[in-house]
Amino acid sequence: MGFFDEPYDFVAPPDDGRVEGIYKVTGKGKYSAEYKVDNICYAVMVGSTVAAGSIKSFNLSNAKQVAGVLDIITHQHKPVVPGLADEAKIASARFGLPVFHTDKIYFKGQPIALVIAETLEDATYAASLVEAQYDTESFAVDFDKAQAAVALTATGKERGTMDAWSNAPFKVEAEYNIKAEVHHPMEMHATIAEWTATDKLKLYDKNQGVNNVQRTFARLFAIPEKNIEVISEYVGGGFGSGLRIWPHALAAIMAAKQVNRPVKLMLTRPQMFYSVGYRPASWQKVQLGANAEGKLLGILHQSKNGTSKYENFNEGITRVTRLIYNFENLKTEAAVVALNLSTPTWMRGPGDCTGDFAVESAIDEISYQLKMDPVALRLKNIATEKNPETGLPWSTNFLNECIAKGAAMINWQDRKPLPMQDINGDWSTGYGMAVGMWNAGRGNASAAIEMKKDGSITVQTAMTDIGTGTGTSMQNIAHDVTGISKTKIKIELGNSNLPAAPSQGGSNGLSSISGAVVAVSNLLKQKLAEYAATENEVYKNAKPTDILLSDTGISFQTANNQFVSYTSIWDKSKLTVLEVEASSGPGAERQQYSFCSSAAHFCKLKVNRKTGKVKIEKMVAVADGGKIVSEKAAANQMSGAAVGGIGMALLEEMTTDERLGGLVGDDLAGYHFAVNADAPIIDVAFIGKPDPNINPTGSKGLGEVGIIGVAAAISNAIYNATGKRLRDLPITPDKVLGW
Amino acid sequence: MRPFIFSKSSALSQALSKKNNTTQFIAGGTNLVDLMKKNIAQPESLVDITTVLPDKITTNTKSIQIGAMVRNTAITNNATVKAKYPLLAKAILAGASPQIRNMASTGGNLLQRTRCPYFYDITTPCNKRKPGTGCSAMQGQNRMNAIVGYSDQCVAVHPSDMCVALAALDATVTLTTKNNKQENIAFTNFHRLPENLPERDNNLPANALIHSISINENPFNKNYAYVKLRDRDSYAFALVSVAAALQLSGNTIVQARLASGGVAHKPWRWTEAEQYLKGKAATATTFSEAATMITKGLKPLSHNGFKVPLLHGAVETALQNCLVASQ
Amino acid sequence: MKQEHSRRFFLKTSSVLAAFAMIPRTAKAFYEEVKNFFVPNKEVLPLTVSINKKKYSIKADTRTTLLDLLREDLHLTGTKKGCDHGQCGACTVHVNGERVLSCLTLAAMVSGKEVTTIEGLANEDKLHPMQQAFIECDGFQCGYCTPGQIMSAVACVNEGHTGSVAEIKEFMSGNLCRCGAYNGIVQSIQKVAP
Repeated sequence: MGFFDEPYDFVAPPDDGRVEGIYKVTGKGKYSAEYKVDNICYAVMVGSTVAAGSIKSFNLSNAKQVAGVLDIITHQHKPVVPGLADEAKIASARFGLPVFHTDKIYFKGQPIALVIAETLEDATYAASLVEAQYDTESFAVDFDKAQAAVALTATGKERGTMDAWSNAPFKVEAEYNIKAEVHHPMEMHATIAEWTATDKLKLYDKNQGVNNVQRTFARLFAIPEKNIEVISEYVGGGFGSGLRIWPHALAAIMAAKQVNRPVKLMLTRPQMFYSVGYRPASWQKVQLGANAEGKLLGILHQSKNGTSKYENFNEGITRVTRLIYNFENLKTEAAVVALNLSTPTWMRGPGDCTGDFAVESAIDEISYQLKMDPVALRLKNIATEKNPETGLPWSTNFLNECIAKGAAMINWQDRKPLPMQDINGDWSTGYGMAVGMWNAGRGNASAAIEMKKDGSITVQTAMTDIGTGTGTSMQNIAHDVTGISKTKIKIELGNSNLPAAPSQGGSNGLSSISGAVVAVSNLLKQKLAEYAATENEVYKNAKPTDILLSDTGISFQTANNQFVSYTSIWDKSKLTVLEVEASSGPGAERQQYSFCSSAAHFCKLKVNRKTGKVKIEKMVAVADGGKIVSEKAAANQMSGAAVGGIGMALLEEMTTDERLGGLVGDDLAGYHFAVNADAPIIDVAFIGKPDPNINPTGSKGLGEVGIIGVAAAISNAIYNATGKRLRDLPITPDKVLGW
Repeated sequence: MRPFIFSKSSALSQALSKKNNTTQFIAGGTNLVDLMKKNIAQPESLVDITTVLPDKITTNTKSIQIGAMVRNTAITNNATVKAKYPLLAKAILAGASPQIRNMASTGGNLLQRTRCPYFYDITTPCNKRKPGTGCSAMQGQNRMNAIVGYSDQCVAVHPSDMCVALAALDATVTLTTKNNKQENIAFTNFHRLPENLPERDNNLPANALIHSISINENPFNKNYAYVKLRDRDSYAFALVSVAAALQLSGNTIVQARLASGGVAHKPWRWTEAEQYLKGKAATATTFSEAATMITKGLKPLSHNGFKVPLLHGAVETALQNCLVASQ
Repeated sequence: MKQEHSRRFFLKTSSVLAAFAMIPRTAKAFYEEVKNFFVPNKEVLPLTVSINKKKYSIKADTRTTLLDLLREDLHLTGTKKGCDHGQCGACTVHVNGERVLSCLTLAAMVSGKEVTTIEGLANEDKLHPMQQAFIECDGFQCGYCTPGQIMSAVACVNEGHTGSVAEIKEFMSGNLCRCGAYNGIVQSIQKVAP
């Protein structure tokens, strides 16, 4: 069992798989709730049974009788959290829900008590016996009902005027409604909290950014950041739910303080519906105009999204509208609608997924009015030269190439220009497409390398790998830059003791960390050259680009390679481990260029006239993500995002009950996301051209653009099949019936 | 989960002697364990009956007997079932997942409780879970609920697919009672409508256990179909489902069977439509007429009106699929 | 939450508990009004289970599921908790060679049976072909559903449900993957299937 000897270190995999693949397929990789910690006990949260009001009293006596119960935390009985000590501090903490620090109830399920017990069974049972009495208040949970009364306000700068296209010969005006969706990573959020000293905290926590967790709790508990170690080596998915620090993590830390023991808290699947965010429900209205030649003249895009009663969350639904096309006349408006639900958060393609569905549906709709192929219509109007919002030239923008490639892959020429022209029995076949785009960002990130005498290196960063293949990409980049074999490159990540890195979200992960890995790889080369120079003077002023590392030593890239072995360097300089660390981040290029990732999605499906069944037969995703660093992982991310988009289009809906004030069917039998049978084999392709300005590798993130256009591509295909324009998601069979 | 005493029963009579209202029997556990986790079922004592119930499928010239402990998957793999009662296998394979079908027992499948989300949420009123508290689904999110046979007390539907086929095939449920006697009950009478006792799902007497299910040989092994319409392609409960079977002579329907899941508190037979189909030509027009007959008197709730046209389409599709032999 | 509990008056010992069933209905009605009640003690059961061909003689809470027994008591954390209600397949293990959900299996029910988890699939340092295929086909992203997918995939091949992509997809639909790595999962199974 040699490969299990070092439980945290990723080792080189067989056959070009991921660095951590062997740990994932053998079950040896430790997710946050899976660490063995001595003397551990369990915490289970108790939720409010009402949607609004305040807690009047508790009856804890039944729960306390359960053998094994150690304590029960409530807002009346809790350890001190300095950062939430009073109203003013709560307000400035920006933590969101002040869990166990208020008697106010904002939503059903809001944690009101925390039972800590010896075993999970004890804690779970005792939690079921906690009772509370409430003073109840009126509530609103139905977004569709509540949104009408909320007024819109302008968001972003208006371009041109609305009057300029009021006489456009072709116009679409339509409303779009999307139900709330829930992230539901397969791993339920969990935290093991252990106070190793009165001011030292160790957290095994599921999140998408360990430094963010560290900062947040350092602030709340008024202890230095370095006193908190956050370990998140394996993260079972996130999709945005791990970008914020949520009440349950604080609850685990409070519990550990209260009982002075390590505490494990894993959310239940029902709790996952209202504890770690969701994509809020939305309403949109789009007015779009075009001239007879198919030039898009102007757009008015209005949007509203749900939020909680205790925080404003603005989705940024109209952002994408300002990005993709050359609209000379554009106006965007937005509003948030406060509901008695928990606070939503960013979910894969936040804002853009929602906004893009409306805009790409409207463009498809106007293409039928124009009798113009929707591919041609898009190619005519996409802003390929510069970012229409900032006016800066795109560093690279290959969306047009994505469209052309995708059209070829799906045999777009087989599409009938009019609906219902490809009918076979009860089934009608249709084709649809849509595009998506995302501002390609980059943050400051650090990485370190430890090198041993045997030529093996370990590349380290605090950044997490939530399944995107961060570790594998780091290995690939380190190999490309240094020349050291992948079998000798280990990766360590997801630990706050390692060099700091931004959270992994918004498609920024690889873009940020790749710069740091290039920088630290070059630094390693330079350091080794300096050591080599003590043996061989030619290395004295060698540049990293001149140098190549092998598994055994350093040499010049050129013919007369002047080889110096690591053994001799280590012996001569009496080294044990050579350590280098470097940081990298965006610079002046951000003032010169705009950066984007983009994708085009194509879908072929059939719809059954009698059963309302939509069967996706083929889905093509073509993306411009700059240079593709890890082909398999990148393709996996694109196909996986398309599967997520199928869920958004056809399945996913968080249901509320306006009379009872909570969620209905809060489990994975009631909330459907795509199973294997719902998705065809997704065909993925990349443009693959590096972006020369974004970062040293030229790679851009794919996480968001993989999903953004999917729902519109599907609904556009349904229109092509049926002639029925469906503007409300999810498109369940009941909505499809009747064409 | 509430603490409970666990014991394993060594004989059927011993198990039956333990039966009372604080004791529950466990076989596959796929529904009961979940109900216990949700604090809906809170037995003080749990009796493992997996080794005391018959777990064999036996056949004779006239019928097949399926022991109460036979796992769902085993039924679908049985050669006689596949040859003579394929509708049953097809319905079972439309339900749950391979893992759950490996666990679930035949008897347990009959006794599984509704998946109405309010029944599962103990913070809400539910007459089935807590009699007298009211029905949350009646005015609430009732998209998945009944369109026929419900009462003002309860609009839940029975979630089984297997039971829809058993209803269509006129199966018989054999019970073992406390004094070790066997009693038969027609499958279509096993489950009940909610009426004023929504907490009762079926007519299983308090002193009895399901021993086995039997189906008489029938001519419905050639032209049959099970159409299950659901929000996703697999691993989801039915919006509506239709088990259809035809005995044909040439193109003429000698007799027909039609039953549905997802529409009522029990697997629902469409006997009027079956009568109508008798002697008719097996054509799309006939099938459409039958579907219209079925959907005519339905009374959907506030959010499930779509089930009426959906059922119409499902009936037509199922009957049409019957003509494609052994698909 | 209280409604189900306060209806009954639980006594502390099991012997009295049995007698309690004999209390007449009218007397029971009185107890239904009692607000605070004695909660029952947990019941502990001695068990002998064979997991990955290793025998474990343990004492378990009767409420403990096979999933929690594996993860919390035995620290075999390869089996994952994805929903705990039989709706995701992440906890799939083999019991007597068949794939089942460990979250809906009481530990007490597997006494005397052979349980195989992801930790028992590899033969010493040699991966099971399905594990190897998942690595090569990149049949995962975050990896959390992966042990369940692999246990299910091995069973899917053993059951002979690999005749087509559609058949594989149907018989793997009891294992949800939120990353959507279904492309690679299907390819892995095709690679291993006869």
